[in-house]
Amino acid sequence: MSALLEVSGLVAGYGAVQVLQGLDLTVNEGEVAVILGANGAGKTTTMRAISGMINRSGTINFAGNDISHTPAHEIVALGIAQVPQGRGTFTDLSVEDNLRAGAYTRSGESAAGIDADMREWYDIFPRLHERRAQKAGSLSGGEQQMLAISRALMSKPRLLLCDEPSLGLAPIITQELFAILGRLNTERGLSILVVEQNANLAVQIAHSVFVLETGSIVASGTAEEIAGNDSVRKAYLGY
Amino acid sequence: MPTTRRAIRESSPLHWGIRTMGVAAIAFIAIYLASTAKPSTLGNITEACTLAIAAVGLNLLFGFNGQISIGHSTFAGLAAFTAGYTVNAWEWNPYVSLVVGLILCFLLGLALGLPALRLKGPYLALVTLAVAFVWPTIAAKFLDQKVKASTLKGTKLEPLSWTGLSVKGKDARLDKAIFLYWAAIVILVVSYVIVRNLRKSRIGRALVAVRDNETAAAVMGVNLKLTKTVTFGISAAIAGASGWITAARLATMDETTFTILSSIKYLLALFLGGAATLVGPIVGAFAYFFVDDYLKEHAPEWDWLPGPLSKGPVASFLLGVLVIAFVFVAPFGIVGFVKDQVRKVFVIAPRPLRPAPSTAEQAMPTTEEPRPADQGPETQGRVDT
Amino acid sequence: MGHLLQYILNGLSKGSIYALIALGLVVIYRGTAHLNFAQGEMALFATFGAWWINDHGVPLWISIALAAIFAFVGGGVIEFGLIRPAGKKSPFAVIVVTIGLFQAMNSLSGLLFENAGTGLPFGSLFPNKPDDFWRISGSTVWRYQNIGVLVTVLVITGLLFALFQKTKIGLAMRMVANNPDSAKLSGVSVSRILMLSWALSAAIGAVGGGLVAGVNTNVNLATMFGVFLLASAAATLGGLDSPLGAIVGGLSLGVVESLVQNYPKDWPASDYIGADTAVAVAFLIILVVLLVKPAGLFGSSRVERV
Repeated sequence: MSALLEVSGLVAGYGAVQVLQGLDLTVNEGEVAVILGANGAGKTTTMRAISGMINRSGTINFAGNDISHTPAHEIVALGIAQVPQGRGTFTDLSVEDNLRAGAYTRSGESAAGIDADMREWYDIFPRLHERRAQKAGSLSGGEQQMLAISRALMSKPRLLLCDEPSLGLAPIITQELFAILGRLNTERGLSILVVEQNANLAVQIAHSVFVLETGSIVASGTAEEIAGNDSVRKAYLGY
Repeated sequence: MPTTRRAIRESSPLHWGIRTMGVAAIAFIAIYLASTAKPSTLGNITEACTLAIAAVGLNLLFGFNGQISIGHSTFAGLAAFTAGYTVNAWEWNPYVSLVVGLILCFLLGLALGLPALRLKGPYLALVTLAVAFVWPTIAAKFLDQKVKASTLKGTKLEPLSWTGLSVKGKDARLDKAIFLYWAAIVILVVSYVIVRNLRKSRIGRALVAVRDNETAAAVMGVNLKLTKTVTFGISAAIAGASGWITAARLATMDETTFTILSSIKYLLALFLGGAATLVGPIVGAFAYFFVDDYLKEHAPEWDWLPGPLSKGPVASFLLGVLVIAFVFVAPFGIVGFVKDQVRKVFVIAPRPLRPAPSTAEQAMPTTEEPRPADQGPETQGRVDT
Repeated sequence: MGHLLQYILNGLSKGSIYALIALGLVVIYRGTAHLNFAQGEMALFATFGAWWINDHGVPLWISIALAAIFAFVGGGVIEFGLIRPAGKKSPFAVIVVTIGLFQAMNSLSGLLFENAGTGLPFGSLFPNKPDDFWRISGSTVWRYQNIGVLVTVLVITGLLFALFQKTKIGLAMRMVANNPDSAKLSGVSVSRILMLSWALSAAIGAVGGGLVAGVNTNVNLATMFGVFLLASAAATLGGLDSPLGAIVGGLSLGVVESLVQNYPKDWPASDYIGADTAVAVAFLIILVVLLVKPAGLFGSSRVERV
């Protein structure tokens, strides 16, 4: 299993506040990796640092490319897509335009290919098809989450970053959500890096788990190893 | 954090000493100039003071309360024309016309403050822009030919008898210039004191709270309507005072005396000096005026400027560029820049809290303005640690 | 009463210019959340530029087109060199910069072009002799000049709408206007789009300025003050982030202005009402609208989180 994303010594923060203190993690191709961490641990900062939204130092290697200093919009073109915290929906744009937005980096491709992909997502999420002409801001939280994932996947990424996808969603929707993520991984071989606070469902679909505490990884291992670790289990999995 | 800074406690004898010396120095310079300067120099300083008064008024509304106004020229115009009209057509006492002008401006400011409650940032800016634009129309239309150009020139504004100055004697011109000079200074000082006292009081904290986060301020009990509209009124009245001095100073006025460009001048002077500081508007106004004056006088002599260029508006161009440059070089204006330099040497430390008696009210320490959130002009101070 | 149509037709022409400049303001506000106070003066400078090119023998419409291209480049440079660095400091800094630009650009026009203060003659793009009109009925005529201006603005508006709704760049602009972070995460170079917004707006302004100068047959330092005011009033009325609002606002204000200027001739109070009262009336209308809809007719209000 080759490493798709390799992060070492990642340091990032906001202004004078250094949130990440030298973070290391690896995501292997075709795997689901989960980062567990409490509020303030640095989960979103990690995501934003990897996708290039904030200044960072350290080494980030993606599929053999050094993206430590690549600007955000170019990282997308290289094959990383992010579903940001809060979903980041283009609220004023229609559902269909949101999907088109997701395909922005696919230039030089015929419209037919993009249209075919859109139809595919409409098949997977019929509710999106129903609401395709509506402004995306009028969708429910769960629907927006589905839209956000579809939007991210329209760029045909190799790695999907998900920042607290369950935030603000009802438990039953969250279950659906992780089932979908799990299927995306097993059926399409999509590599996924998920960041979650309360992460039972996430760990269930994960291959490897990282525990983030105040800016660095304090424990890591396979899902079974981490679930077997009493203190981690109590702190993050709630039992 | 440099540890070699001296901390001077606020309200300590040393602090008072420094401030008293500053005031004394300014007073000395003012008196010296009054007794030795030519009428034209006095006139220049009067004009600079006029701009400063308007900037002080604008600062109260924009710098401290976060409400932008590009329409303050209208208040100045209203008071100026009120003075010109009432004194010339109705033979009123010019000092009474000042009071009336102030009241009218206050009321107009209140009236404008009401709709302003509902308008956010750019919308408010554009509405006040319209106010500035509308004034020349009103000025031209509602005052008939004979009177609209009238001012308090000549013998219309008689210096108060106890000053010993007279506009009728052989030194009339000099006397009038001296009187106007002092009148402008007095009004400027009064405006400054009013704004300063407001700022340092509980009301001032409410003003700044509203500027930084209206919703939070309201939730904490600030009466938004009252605060914002009254501030608008007071700010307008101060700008009106500036207009009255203009009416006293000029020989004629017409609809081009108070335009959008005047409003923009007030804003630029304010930015130059440092918005949301107490002396910023004054420093900025003087700087703006004298740079403008210098450039107007000397630019035509600049041989290195190609012909037509030197005849054009070099002064206003360079001042516009200067203000833009300041955004990057000295974002808190001249005063902010100076304060930053001074801070490297010493700081004013806040008074320590008095120990609390059981349940009685504690005195709030007066701190310098805290850093605001992303809206509105940046304030100068930080809570000194 | 038979003059109503005439006044409306006249008003549509002026109104379409307000709509065009307002559209420029909206493009910038929607795309960057900044208000460009210098919009009118930048357009003025470009118009002087067009005059200069025309003065050297180039046909007028090419001169205006060239000026628009230079304005396009200039707008992008201003965004990149001044507005963006100022924006990094604070929104207040941007306000200061655009106000400074207002004065600087106006003065620059005065410096570079001799007699800019008194005015330079400016031709019209459309036939503008006294008998160049289309007689609609009786005494109602529609001057070719006015038709031309209206059609030009409608064409430009149509092109802009097509740009926004049908092209990838237009999609990118809408993405950045709505959610710059998500736009970045979708692969859009937000900095390029910001520059494009200003560039486009400056080009629009240049064309608007050319049309104004053609209507006035003259360009001078004060030419754009009133236009900018009414254009910003139109944008305010329509909603600062709504292109449709800019058009509706501009056309309505143009018609209102025309009606207020012309009707009261028959009224006893006509001594007090005149050309500039239209601005006061416009101002009152806008104030009333804003009291009811603080974000303008078609504008969107943003929910504020404390």
